[in-house]
Amino acid sequence: MELFLPCLYAFLACLGFCVLFRISGPGAVLCSLGGALAWLVYLLTGPIMGNNDVIQYFWAAVFLSAYAEVMARVRKCPATGYLLIAFIPLVPGAGIYNMMDAALRGDTQDFLTTGLHTLSIAGSLAVGVLVVSSLVRMQNMLQHRRRSKGGGEP
Amino acid sequence: MDYDKLLTLSSDLGYYLLLSGAEIYRVEESVQYLLNAYGVETGEVFAIPNCVIVSLTAPGQKPITQMRRVPGHGTDIRRMEDLNALCRGLCAQPPDLDRAAEALAETVGRTPHTPVAVELAAYVLLTSAFCLFFGGTARDAFCGGLCGLAVGLVVPFLTRLGTNLFFKAMVGGFCCGLLAAGLTDLGVGEHIDLIIIGAIMAQAPGLVITNFMRDIMAGDMMSGLVKLAEALLTGAGIALGTGVALSLVNAVWGVL
Repeated sequence: MELFLPCLYAFLACLGFCVLFRISGPGAVLCSLGGALAWLVYLLTGPIMGNNDVIQYFWAAVFLSAYAEVMARVRKCPATGYLLIAFIPLVPGAGIYNMMDAALRGDTQDFLTTGLHTLSIAGSLAVGVLVVSSLVRMQNMLQHRRRSKGGGEP
Repeated sequence: MDYDKLLTLSSDLGYYLLLSGAEIYRVEESVQYLLNAYGVETGEVFAIPNCVIVSLTAPGQKPITQMRRVPGHGTDIRRMEDLNALCRGLCAQPPDLDRAAEALAETVGRTPHTPVAVELAAYVLLTSAFCLFFGGTARDAFCGGLCGLAVGLVVPFLTRLGTNLFFKAMVGGFCCGLLAAGLTDLGVGEHIDLIIIGAIMAQAPGLVITNFMRDIMAGDMMSGLVKLAEALLTGAGIALGTGVALSLVNAVWGVL
């Protein structure tokens, strides 16, 4: 139950964003499901990775980009929608708020601590996405080359 | 072939893609593919989040360039998917340029607006879900939903008035802070910090900072820096607005 409820909330939050970003129909459900599953990955990798949240975010991002690429193939549409909306439960929105709040309070120490933590979360999410998308790109390029080579021969 | 028309077509495509919130690499690649499909090998495109520049050199002619500024915009995935499909279609079988321009205009004009009530319901849903997500109780979620409703009423209105990013974030944060503090003081909400953090998620500052990292690491330095500035401004605006609201409520509550 303690795994299920946060994922349900993540699902609902993503569903709200689907409406705002104008995704409808089965796409909206799949996007939101991606958000919920990514949060599940984040929670499950916790005990394995020694509760280091930066690493947990990395694995969640890897899972999510793989999910987005698969769904983009299945539904024949860009992966952007999935990457954008399903990422919302993961992104450090609270972190950036806390960071700027500390800056406005004049608490430099807290500003630096939360700021660096926010940046490292954002960084690990970005690395997770880039690892998968670079691999997919390389594979596409390889396929493309093979196909154009094959087409050249009679 | 009329290269002026091709230039207008491709920069319009880039403009509308950026306006719908597409990534920089998608904009640049789509325009590049389109130019290649019409047989222009010497076309160049450069895009950052608020500007797109397309330049091409037709055989035996002078180089021509067009630049489009892109105003502040939201995200419209449906339109982006439509434009992507259109671009694929145009590249697979390049039609007459006039026909292609018509197809683009038709795709852009096709977007019906989401009813306001549905949009407000989405704001309420996502803010209350985030309050629960961050560990709030049902009463916190109720307050978060009310804050989300306020943001959903105020922010799109300010967008229509052409308000800038910072001011919008500040007013949004102010509304959240005012409602959250008021409701907590009245005994409806329980955890004011969770209500505020849930409610400000409607303005999604975290999304921008993740996209900034992605752009920087992918090598789009300029657009990454633009996004970093955007994320910091939004965060500062929200924090400032919330801070002002909280101190105001505390002062009034102290007098009463």
